[in-house]
Amino acid sequence: MQPPPPPAPGESPINRDIMSVMDGVSPGYFMLLGACVLSVVAAGATWVYQVYEGLGIGGYTHPIFWGAYIVTFVFWVGIAHAGTLISAILYLFRAKWRNAINRSAEAMTVFAVLTAAQFLGIHVGRMWKSYFILPYPNQRGLWVNFRSPLEWDTFAISTYATISIVFFFIGLIPDLAILRDRSRGLKKLVYTALALGWQGTSTQWKSHTRSVLHLSGLATPLVLSVHSVVSWDFAMSIVPGWHATIFAPYFVAGAIFSGFAMVLTVMIPVRRIYGLEEYINDYHFENMTRFLLLTSWIVGYAYGIEYFIAWYSGVEAEQTAFWLRAFGPYWFSTWTMIICNVVIPQIFWFKKFRTHVPTIFVVSTFINIGMWFERYVIIITSLTREYDPAVWGTYTPTWAELTIFAGSFGFFGMLFLMFMKFFPVIAITEMKELAIHDRAHAAGGGH
Amino acid sequence: MPSLVGIYDAPGPVADCAKKLRNRGFTDLEIYSPAAFPELDDALDEKPSRVRLYTLIGGLIGVVTGYALPIWMSYDWPVVIGGKPFASIPTYTIIGFELTILFGGLATLLGLLIVGGLPYGSFGKADKGYSARFSAEEFGLVVGCSDRDVSEVDAMLKAHGSKEVNVVEA
Repeated sequence: MQPPPPPAPGESPINRDIMSVMDGVSPGYFMLLGACVLSVVAAGATWVYQVYEGLGIGGYTHPIFWGAYIVTFVFWVGIAHAGTLISAILYLFRAKWRNAINRSAEAMTVFAVLTAAQFLGIHVGRMWKSYFILPYPNQRGLWVNFRSPLEWDTFAISTYATISIVFFFIGLIPDLAILRDRSRGLKKLVYTALALGWQGTSTQWKSHTRSVLHLSGLATPLVLSVHSVVSWDFAMSIVPGWHATIFAPYFVAGAIFSGFAMVLTVMIPVRRIYGLEEYINDYHFENMTRFLLLTSWIVGYAYGIEYFIAWYSGVEAEQTAFWLRAFGPYWFSTWTMIICNVVIPQIFWFKKFRTHVPTIFVVSTFINIGMWFERYVIIITSLTREYDPAVWGTYTPTWAELTIFAGSFGFFGMLFLMFMKFFPVIAITEMKELAIHDRAHAAGGGH
Repeated sequence: MPSLVGIYDAPGPVADCAKKLRNRGFTDLEIYSPAAFPELDDALDEKPSRVRLYTLIGGLIGVVTGYALPIWMSYDWPVVIGGKPFASIPTYTIIGFELTILFGGLATLLGLLIVGGLPYGSFGKADKGYSARFSAEEFGLVVGCSDRDVSEVDAMLKAHGSKEVNVVEA
C-alpha cells in the first residue's frame, strides 16, 4: 500500500478528521461486514429456495397474502424518509443542526430504498416478472391500470429512489473533489471520474447551491407523497382497519419517526468509534430527540384516533378489528408497538436524557422495533380479521421470512459499512462553510 | 500571458477584490472556494443561476407527460374499470405529480452539469491556477492579465488581504 500523499500546506483539520473515518479497517469492522455479508448470503439462498419451492414456504395462507415481506417493505421505505427530511426540509428551514448528519442520512435513504424495493420482488414470488408493473409497449397492446394504488406506488418509489440518488450524488460532488486531491493510484482515478472535474469555482458553487435548493423544493413534497402513496395501498381498500382517511399523514409521521430513530441507531456507534464527537454533539442530539418526541406524539395521536373512529363510525367490522388488535391473538404486537413508540419516547421530555447518548441509543432501538411492529399490526391484524368470521385466519412469519428479514438488515448494514470507507460520512464542505463563516466573524469581518 | 493567484482565508475579501478588479476592466477572473458562500455568488456574475430554467422546463415536461401518458394509454386500449371514465383525472394526478418531481429533479441535475460546466476538463487535469489548497480551507482569486499589469494586480490582491500571491504561466 502506498503511503498517503503528504498534507498540502494549510491542510484543513476538518478534511483530516472526517477523512480519518475512511482510513484502514479494523478487525471489528471486518467481523461486522462479514456478519452482514453472511446474513445476505443466507437470505439470498432462502430466496432461491423460495423461488424453487414457491411462496408457500412463507407464512402465506388464506386469507393472509400480505405478510412479513410487505411489513418489511413498508418498514424500510419508512426508514428511507429521514434522509430526505434532513436534507431537503431542514435545508429549506435553514436548520443548521442538519449539517452533521445529512450525508449519512442521505446515504441511509438510498440504501433503505434499495433494500425496500427488493421486498416487492420477493413478495410477488416471480421477481423476474416484476417489470409487468411498468407501462411498456407489448404485443398484446395492453397497458397497466393507472387507477391502482400499486401502480401509483411503482411511480412513487422509483421516483423516490432516483431523486434520492441524484440528491446524494450532487451533495457528494464537492467532497469527491476533496478526496480526488488527496488520494493516489486507482482511488484517485475513481474519485477523479466521480468528481466530474469539480474545482469549486464560484460559477460551480452558484449552480450547485441553486440545484440543491431546487432539489430540496422538489424532494419536500416528494417525501410527503411517497409514504402517503404507500399508505393508500392500504387505505384505498375496504379492509377493516385500513380504510381510513388518516392513513397518509399517519404513515408519513411514522416514517419520519422511524427514519430519525434509525439515523440515531446507526450514527451513535459510528460517532463513538471514529471520534466524531466534535462534529455530532449535544446540539444535534437535543434537536433529533425533540423531533422524535414530536413525531412520537403524532403517531400516538393516530393510534388513538383510529380507535376513536372505529368506535364512532358504528361499523361493527371496524370495531371488532380494533378490539381484536388490542385484545385478540395479536395483542403482543399491538402493545409492543404502543409501548415502544408512544410510552418509551416520553423520556425525552427531560433534557438530561435528550443529551444522554446511551439512553438515546436504547430508545431509538426500541423505536425501530416498535415501528416494525406497527406495520405488522396494521397488515396482519386487519387481514386475519376481515368481515366474515368464517374466513378468519392466523398468520405467523416462517423461518424463510425471518431469514430474509434479517438479511435485509445485513444488506443495509453492508452498504453502509462500505459507504463509510469510500465516502465521507459527514458533508465536509458543509462543515467548512460553518467553520470558515464562524472564523470570519470571530476575526471581526462581517458579511 | 501570466495569471496571478491570490490566496485568502475568508470569502469577504475575495469578493471585494474581484469586484474592484472587474471595475478596473479585468475580465479573466476565476474564484476557487472550499465551500459555498453567498458573498461569492455574485462576485463574478450578478445574474441568477440558469439552473432554475432547467428545473422549470423539466417540471413542466414532467407534469404534461404524467397526465398524457395514462390518459393516452387508457384510450389506446379502452377497458372500463370500476365504472370510472377513461381519463380518471384524480387518480392520474398522482402520476402527474410524481413525474413532475422526477423530470424536474433530473433536469436540475442536467442544469447543474451544463451551467456548472461539468464534467470539467480532461481526465484529472485541472486549471493551472487550481491547487489542492482550495479543497482544504483556502480561497483563490485567479487573475489573467498582460505582463505590464502584473504589478498592479499584485498590489490589488495584497491590498485586499491576500496572504500570498503566486504567478502561473498560462
